[in-house]
Amino acid sequence: MIGLTHYLTVAAILFTIGIFGIFLNRKNVIVIMMSIELILLSVNINLVAFSFYLHDLTGQVFALLILTVAAGEAAIGLAILVTYFRNRGTIAVEDINMMKG
Amino acid sequence: MIATTFFFYLFSLFAIASAVLVITMKNPVHSVLFLILCFFNAAGLFVLTGAEFLAMILVVVYVGAVAVLFLFVVMMLDVDFTELRSGMLNYLPVGGVIGMILLAELVLLFSTWAAPAGDVAASVEAAQNTRALGLVLYTKYVFFFQTAGLILLVAMIGAIVLTLRHRTGIKRQDVNTQVARGPATAMEIKKVESGQGI
Amino acid sequence: MSIFQQLGAAAALPEILLAIMAMVLLLEGVFVTAHTPNTIRWGAIASMVAVAGLVIWKSGSGSVEAFGGAFVADGFARLMKVLALLGGAVTLAMSGKYLARTRMDSEEYPVLIMLASVGMMVMISAGDLISLYVGLELQSLPLYVIAAINRDNAKSSEAGLKYFVLGALSSGMLLYGASLVYGFTGHTDFAGISAALAKTGATPGVVFGLVFIITGLAFKVSAVPFHMWTPDVYEGAPTPVTAFFAAAPKIAAIALFARVMVGPFAGVTHSWQQVVIFISIASMAFGAVAAIGQSNIKRLMAYSSIANMGFALVGLAAGTVEGVEGLIVYMLIYLATTLGTFACIMAMRRKGIYVEQISDLAGLSRNDKGLAFVLAMLMFSMAGIPPLAGFFGKLFVFLAAVKAGLYVLAVLGVVASVIGAYYYLRIVKLIYFDEAAEKFDGADMELAIVAYASLAFVLGFIVFAQPLVNLASAAAKSLF
Repeated sequence: MIGLTHYLTVAAILFTIGIFGIFLNRKNVIVIMMSIELILLSVNINLVAFSFYLHDLTGQVFALLILTVAAGEAAIGLAILVTYFRNRGTIAVEDINMMKG
Repeated sequence: MIATTFFFYLFSLFAIASAVLVITMKNPVHSVLFLILCFFNAAGLFVLTGAEFLAMILVVVYVGAVAVLFLFVVMMLDVDFTELRSGMLNYLPVGGVIGMILLAELVLLFSTWAAPAGDVAASVEAAQNTRALGLVLYTKYVFFFQTAGLILLVAMIGAIVLTLRHRTGIKRQDVNTQVARGPATAMEIKKVESGQGI
Repeated sequence: MSIFQQLGAAAALPEILLAIMAMVLLLEGVFVTAHTPNTIRWGAIASMVAVAGLVIWKSGSGSVEAFGGAFVADGFARLMKVLALLGGAVTLAMSGKYLARTRMDSEEYPVLIMLASVGMMVMISAGDLISLYVGLELQSLPLYVIAAINRDNAKSSEAGLKYFVLGALSSGMLLYGASLVYGFTGHTDFAGISAALAKTGATPGVVFGLVFIITGLAFKVSAVPFHMWTPDVYEGAPTPVTAFFAAAPKIAAIALFARVMVGPFAGVTHSWQQVVIFISIASMAFGAVAAIGQSNIKRLMAYSSIANMGFALVGLAAGTVEGVEGLIVYMLIYLATTLGTFACIMAMRRKGIYVEQISDLAGLSRNDKGLAFVLAMLMFSMAGIPPLAGFFGKLFVFLAAVKAGLYVLAVLGVVASVIGAYYYLRIVKLIYFDEAAEKFDGADMELAIVAYASLAFVLGFIVFAQPLVNLASAAAKSLF
């Protein structure tokens, strides 16, 4: 019998994999962006599962809007990445505190 | 019930496996392809909970647009894989432990969920998911809908502002100018004296 | 009743108007070839000021809810919206010549700032988790773009990229928290959440969700330990963009923080108060110490803004009406001083090249007495020296904390303020007592106006403090 906990666990595992992926691939910006997409996917699964078990459509509407916004965000992120690549010639981002004053 | 259980485990397993592969693959193109597989399986999970519109939109928008965009960019940028992978294994043990602890805490948390008694915002699901969403999206949630539209406008402006470069020296046709030409601009009448030439 | 009347859309008229004006200006920029980027810029400034005026004009109608509770227009929202809009309009007005000289004056820049302002207004009026997220994203996406808008500058692209990655990550965490809160309370609207929490108290699920939400919000406010993006983004982005970042989005983010903590989660204060106290102390301490070794003035302003957010959060940590009142007064003073300081920074130009090093300010008092005096007064105000405005801002928040019984917080705040005063005073010493560096080119008129107006505010605050404090008090009361 599949209960709410099953869906939430799957979502939590995806969330953890997403966070883990960011820390693992700190230099590869594209994989970082894909990990962020995994995090958003886990949020969507959470919301849809809650919506189903609460018999409330709000969760699905929220998930639909997150989908929309995430698509726009991915577009902008990739545009910024392309700009960065055109200036630097690589997509390796130095560690966060490289621009020390 | 058996079918639901079977499909749930099938989709979840593939989703989790492909997610792990997304973050560990050497080649970014492979990562994107496994991300696409993960999205498909998540769409399957959505169908199991009765959110079929959302599942289809996930496939159309996320896989069809976002993941393809990722693929374009990955193939366009000339990436040196080996340099990017250095230092990865340093963080593996600590990150793994923290991840496991977080996951364990979350799973323990989920078992405390109890359906709130009768307090829920009452919205009865119509027969079809799409119809139900449509009834509510343009009336009750129109504010979010419009603001999401503005967000998409911003994304469009942003992408163009950052990446569009007008190449100079390219000859382009401007059909309107061409069609708008009349005898006044296209022709010049010269009076020629006999025997003189132009 | 038409659907619009039912939904109460009239309450959101300012936002709708600003969005429409943004789209009109965008089309104008594309189709009306006779217009220059300057026309679009002044159109944007006029729209933002007009919309701010509209918000003020509609005040006195009490608390209005629209769209089924998703949009709340109360006194607090109106005041913070006016501050955010004015901050945006002033930075846009100051930046004209800078943008023209560095050839960054595209027609889309003002439009993006207007759309970011619409996002800020939606965020400040959020009455629902969904409108919180959507407003937050509508504000953040244009900010990512304008941070990277100097396409040929590697530092600018790097700033945009770092800002984007960390911003998207924090949005993800905020969303995860929001999904948990929705699941464990059954509601996304703030009224429903508070009602559900009143019945059940702070269940572990809601607390987890709350912690994730605070994480996301603390990033936007650039509070420690989620401040990592601020110094690099402030330094790398073009200076007018940095001025905008330091002014308007900070106000909107802290207003949102206050609204979320004091609104739906008012019943579980003990759950979030400790966290807010911790990040407040950490921000004040870090901002005070880390700025000491800086040589780039934009980076210094970044650390200064981190510390300032720490002080503002002291007011929020109190969780009382006086606390929020202190927060509002502090943000008002912060806005005025920040705009003045960035006006002075944008005046730092030698032979047409803009400079950013603190050492370039050496001996300014010999070269440009006016600019030196303004900058010195602003630095004194930020250091919290009486009788300037900055002192009163800190006084209000510390008094509110003491009233709420948070003595340790108040004491630590005073200590951090004293330590942090060091680097502000160091700049004053540099300006007045050091060897004169090369002279700057003359400041533009717009910069001079903003700088002197800021000076007047900082010096004269002690005189007209009372009406402003009353305004803040009324706004704070409307939030509870």
